[in-house]
Amino acid sequence: MTNDRYLIVSYFLCAALSIALGLLGYYYLRRPFAGVAEAAPGRGLPSMLKRLFPCGFVLPALLGFVSVSYRSCDRTTYTEIVASRGYLVEKNQEQISSILLYLLFAVVFWNLVALFVLRFARDGGEGHKTGQRTE
Amino acid sequence: MFESRSVEPANPGLKGEHGMNFALSAFLILLAISLAVPTILFLLLRSSLNDLLRHTLRLQAGVTFYLRSFLLVLYLAALSAAIGTSFDLKPDSRFMEYVWKGAEGVSSTLEKELWFVAIYLALITVLVATLKVKDDE
Repeated sequence: MTNDRYLIVSYFLCAALSIALGLLGYYYLRRPFAGVAEAAPGRGLPSMLKRLFPCGFVLPALLGFVSVSYRSCDRTTYTEIVASRGYLVEKNQEQISSILLYLLFAVVFWNLVALFVLRFARDGGEGHKTGQRTE
Repeated sequence: MFESRSVEPANPGLKGEHGMNFALSAFLILLAISLAVPTILFLLLRSSLNDLLRHTLRLQAGVTFYLRSFLLVLYLAALSAAIGTSFDLKPDSRFMEYVWKGAEGVSSTLEKELWFVAIYLALITVLVATLKVKDDE
């Protein structure tokens, strides 16, 4: 496989991987987050949070993917970029690393959202005192 | 007439396929370490974190959400650092250069892990403190 072809294939594979990882993170936290969002005050807020939740994983993952640039100080033209396979592999690693890092930020962000939701939950703290739990 | 003299290095390093094998082995070892560290941390902290969350939150969904988030934070931080480490060394690199590169990877893995565990702990502390205040009210 030529470097040119490798670049095209690996770029689109990384793009697909970013969406897949975003969706994976979303599916892993979807149910517990839906339970937390249900406790949010206001009429429309729970459904709004639940609808925003998938975007809050897929978009950061995509952002992480596109935030890596193939151009650098010593490689500015396309020919220079595709000259070395090692450089292309390094960039792919950087892309995956960046996807994971942005997903990490997304998880921390949704943790903060859950914190505020639980703080201002509709039915106060009675459940905790009586030991009730919502499944 | 022409004296061809091959210049051999005094101590030839790893070349071609050997170098590739070392790079792959070093990367796989780094990946294994970056998977082992979060697994050990999660197993160590899971039960006490679970107890703390159960004691603080009314919602079972909240407990599950924060536990799963903790697992994600641990794995994402470690893998993000490990995968970002490049083993693209010169073909004549020696064995120890791969070891140093691997150690660099482990260092950045642990550093990132530490930072995000600290952020998560701060978040959990705020969660516990605010919900405790709310309960007290």
